[in-house]
Amino acid sequence: MAKFVVNGKSVEAKADPDMPLLWVLREKLGLTGTKFGCGIAQCLACTVHIEGQPVPSCQIPVKDVEGVQITTIEGVGGKTLHPVQKAWIEGNVPQCGYCQSGIIMAAIALLEQNSEPSDAEIDSAIGNICRCGTYPYVRKAIHAAAKLKRATPGAIS
Amino acid sequence: MTTTRRNFLTLSASVGSSIAFNLALPSMAFSAGKNGNIPQEITSWITVHDDNRVTVRIPQIELGQGITTALTQVIAEEINLELSLTDWEFYDPLTNYNRKNVYVHTYSGGSFGMRMLFSPMRIAGAQIKEMLLLAAARRWNTDARGLVIKNHHVMNPATSTSVGFGKLSEIASTIPIPDPSKVKTTAQKDWRYIGKPIPRSDAYDKSTGKAIYGIDLKLPGMKYAAVKQCPVFGGNLVSFDSTAIKSYQGVQKVVAIKAGPSGYTVPPFFYEVIDWRMDDAVAVVADSWWEAQRALDALPIVWDEGENKDVSSTQIEQKINNELMTQGEVIRQEGDVDSALLKAEKTIQSRYHYPFLEHAALEPMNCTALIENGRVEAWAATQYGDEALRITAYAAGVAPYNAKFNLMLAGGSFGRRLHSDYVSQAVQIAKEMEGVPIKLIWSREENMQRSFYAPVMTTDFTGGIDADGNITAWKSHVCQGRSVYQPYTMSRMVYPVPNIKIEYSTVNTPPPYAWMRGVGHTQALWMYHGFVSELAELAGMDSLSFQLKLLDEKKVSKTAPEYYNLEIASTYEDAVSRIKKFRERLLHVVEKMDNKSDPNHRGSVGYAVFDMSYAPGLGASIVAIAIEIEMSENHSTLKIKNVVASVDCGLAVNPQLVETQVAGAIVFGLSNALYGEITLDNGRVEQSNFHDYPILRLKDTPSIDVHIASSDATLPSGIGEGAVPVVIAALVDAIHTAGGPKVRRLPILKNDISLSA
Repeated sequence: MAKFVVNGKSVEAKADPDMPLLWVLREKLGLTGTKFGCGIAQCLACTVHIEGQPVPSCQIPVKDVEGVQITTIEGVGGKTLHPVQKAWIEGNVPQCGYCQSGIIMAAIALLEQNSEPSDAEIDSAIGNICRCGTYPYVRKAIHAAAKLKRATPGAIS
Repeated sequence: MTTTRRNFLTLSASVGSSIAFNLALPSMAFSAGKNGNIPQEITSWITVHDDNRVTVRIPQIELGQGITTALTQVIAEEINLELSLTDWEFYDPLTNYNRKNVYVHTYSGGSFGMRMLFSPMRIAGAQIKEMLLLAAARRWNTDARGLVIKNHHVMNPATSTSVGFGKLSEIASTIPIPDPSKVKTTAQKDWRYIGKPIPRSDAYDKSTGKAIYGIDLKLPGMKYAAVKQCPVFGGNLVSFDSTAIKSYQGVQKVVAIKAGPSGYTVPPFFYEVIDWRMDDAVAVVADSWWEAQRALDALPIVWDEGENKDVSSTQIEQKINNELMTQGEVIRQEGDVDSALLKAEKTIQSRYHYPFLEHAALEPMNCTALIENGRVEAWAATQYGDEALRITAYAAGVAPYNAKFNLMLAGGSFGRRLHSDYVSQAVQIAKEMEGVPIKLIWSREENMQRSFYAPVMTTDFTGGIDADGNITAWKSHVCQGRSVYQPYTMSRMVYPVPNIKIEYSTVNTPPPYAWMRGVGHTQALWMYHGFVSELAELAGMDSLSFQLKLLDEKKVSKTAPEYYNLEIASTYEDAVSRIKKFRERLLHVVEKMDNKSDPNHRGSVGYAVFDMSYAPGLGASIVAIAIEIEMSENHSTLKIKNVVASVDCGLAVNPQLVETQVAGAIVFGLSNALYGEITLDNGRVEQSNFHDYPILRLKDTPSIDVHIASSDATLPSGIGEGAVPVVIAALVDAIHTAGGPKVRRLPILKNDISLSA
C-alpha cells in the first residue's frame, strides 16, 4: 500500500506495488484527467507533476512515489483556472482534447522554470504527441499564458 | 459542455440502480416526460428543462472536429437560443432506429457531418420555434403572429407578457410538427451564430481534465478487460491455458471472443456496403486494466495462424507489381493515348508507391458493456453509432430494442472508430459475465498491430509532352491492396489532357481496410501531382507555372462525350468551373506565400490544389497549399518552415473551427507523409508503438496560416480532410523544386532525407 500526496491530499492506494502510477490515479483514485496513450512514455498524454517536475506517469511504479507530492490536471489552478488553462480556453486549443491534460501539465512546468520561453524553448519542452495537430495553437497559447502569468504575479500555479 | 449525458454518467456512478433504471427504458426519447426532472422532448432534436435550458441532440460523434459546437450554433440560430442556456448531448442510436433515421445523417466520416446536417437542423430549429410560438399562443389564447422568442421565453410585445420554455415545453411537444417545406428559416442577414467564430463548447472541460471520454467511464462494480487477437490477420484461436495465470493478482476470467462481423463503415445508401470482419480474440478480465494486460501477456495462447502467416510487405508489393503487368479496369478514357504517346516529343515513365497506414488515434480503442436481464447496454466512442448499436445487439444475441448504445467523446479517431470490432469484443466479454460492467481497453500494441489500415497502393504513370510543353498523353494504372472500390482517387484528376487512359486494379492483401482521414485522395493525389512535377521538368518549366498552365478551362473538351462520365464531371460547365476555382485558390496561396516569406531568404516552395471530391456535385471544399522548405546543400536534410493554405468551403459555419480543422489536417498529412508506414513480416505488423510509428511533434511543426475564402455560398461543404492529400502533394512538390531526390515512395524520410534539427 503506497502513501503519497495527490493534489494536496494524502492518499493510500491499495494496489500492486508495481502498478504504474497512471493506473492508480485513473482506476484507484478516480482521477481520469490523466490519459493512457501508449504505456511506454512516448506520447506523454499521462504527464503529471512529481515534486513539480513533469513526468510520464505510465512509467512510474506506484511503490516509487511513496511520500512524494503529485499534481494532476485536476489539481492545477485551485478554485480558479491556471493561466495556462485560461490561455488554452481563450485560444480554443483542444480538438479531440485527449492529449491536452498532458500538454497543459508540461506547459505549466515550463512556465515555472521560464517565465518567457522562446519558440525554441517551447519546442524542446513540449514533446507530447497531439494526433489532431493542435501544435500551432499550443505554441500560441503558451506565449499567451506566459504573458498572463507575468501580468498576475502570485497567481496559483 | 455540461451535458445531460455527463450528468447521467455522474448519476450512474453514484447510484447503482440507475443503470438498471436506464436499461428498463430502452429509448430515452420515449421516456421523456414531465415526471421528475426528465427534460421534455420537442421533436427528436431538443429537450427543454424546467429552468428553460435547452439540450440539443447531436447526431454525430465529437472527435475533435468541433461538430457539437457547430451544429448547436445552427439549431440555436433558428430557435433563437442563448448559447449560455444551451448544451448538447449525443443522439441515441436506438431512438434513430425506432424513428426511422429521424436524425438524417448519423455517420461521422467523409467530412460529411456539417454538409449533411446543416439544412435538416435549420429546418428542425424552425419547426421547434414555430411549435413553441404556437404553444404560447394556445396558452394565451391569442394568435402566434407577433410573438417572439427571447432569452428562452416566448414574449408577446403587445401585452408585455412572457412565458419560459420550461412552462411551454409540454404543450409544445403535443403540437403537430410543422410541414418542413413550409417553415421559415432565419434570413442570412439576421444570423447571430452561423458564420461566427463561436468558441468551442468543450474547451473548458478539455482544458481541465473534466471531459469524460469512453476510456474514462466508471460504473459500479466494473471490471477491466485486455484483449489480444492472433498476430496474423485471419488467424484463429485454437486454445489457451488459463491455469498458467491462475496465481496472477486480480484476474477474474479468461474469455474467448469469436470472429464475426465488425460492422459497415459507410451508410448503405452512400457507397458499397461491406460488413467487415474481426478475428478471434482472447480477453483477460481483472480488477484493474494493468493486471488484466499483465496476465494476458503471460497467458499461453495457441493460434492457427492460417494462410497469411508468411506474408511480408515485399511479397505484397510484388503481388501488386505483377497485377500492374495485366490489364486493369479502364475507369477513364479520352482520345487515343497510345498514338499520342508515339507522336509525343518526349515521354517519361514513373512508378509511385504508398504504404499501409494506421490512424494512431491517441485514445486506444475501448468500450464498456453490461448485459443484464436479457438487455445489453454499451458505451463507447464510435463514428457510426447506428452500426455500433447493431453490432451491440448482434454480439449480445438480442433484438435491437433490447440494446442501448451510448456515444462517448472520442480521443481522436480519423476513421478507425468507423469499425465496431472493439464494441463486439466488449459485449462478448460482458455476455460471459452477466450483471458485471466490463470496460475493455486495447493496448497501444494491439491498436497498432490489429487495426484496419489505409491500403497500400502503387501507380504506374506514362506521360508525353509536345514541343510546346503541353501534356498530350497521360496513362496510368493504379493498383490498391484490399480496399473498397475507389476509382475516384485517379479519375477525379482535374487537369484536362486530350489523350488519357486510367486503369484501376486491386489485389487482396491480408490487413483489413479502413477509411482514414483524407481517404483515397491521400494515396493518389501526391502520386499524380508528383508525376506532373516530373512532366514539368521534362518540359523545362517550374512546377508552379506548369500547374497554372494546366489549369486552363479552354482545354476542357466540349466534344468528348465520355468526359461527362459521372465520375468526372456532370456537365461541361461543371468541369470549367472546377478548373477556374482551382486556379483562383492556387493563385491565392501564391500571393499569400509571397507576402509571408522574404523572397531573398526564401527556401523552396511547393504548391498543390485539390477538392476533396468523390463525384461531381457533392459540394467539396477546395484547398490550395503552399509549403516552404529548406534542404541542405546535398539534399539530405529537410526543414519545413511555413505552410499557407487557402480554402473555399462554401459557407463557413464556424470560421474558427474551419481554420483549426485545416491546420490540424496539415499536421496530420505532414506526419503521415514524413513517417507513416505499416509493414508486414511473417504475417505480422512490424510496428508496435510510437517509437517505431512516429508522429510529428511540436518541434518539427511549421508555422501554419489558414485563409478562408469569402464565399456567397448558402451551404457549407466539408472541411475535416481536404488539406491532408494536398499538403502531402505540396511537400513532395517542394522537395522536387528544391532539387531533392525524386520522392516516389512514402514515407518521405525513407528517401535518404532526414529532418534537420
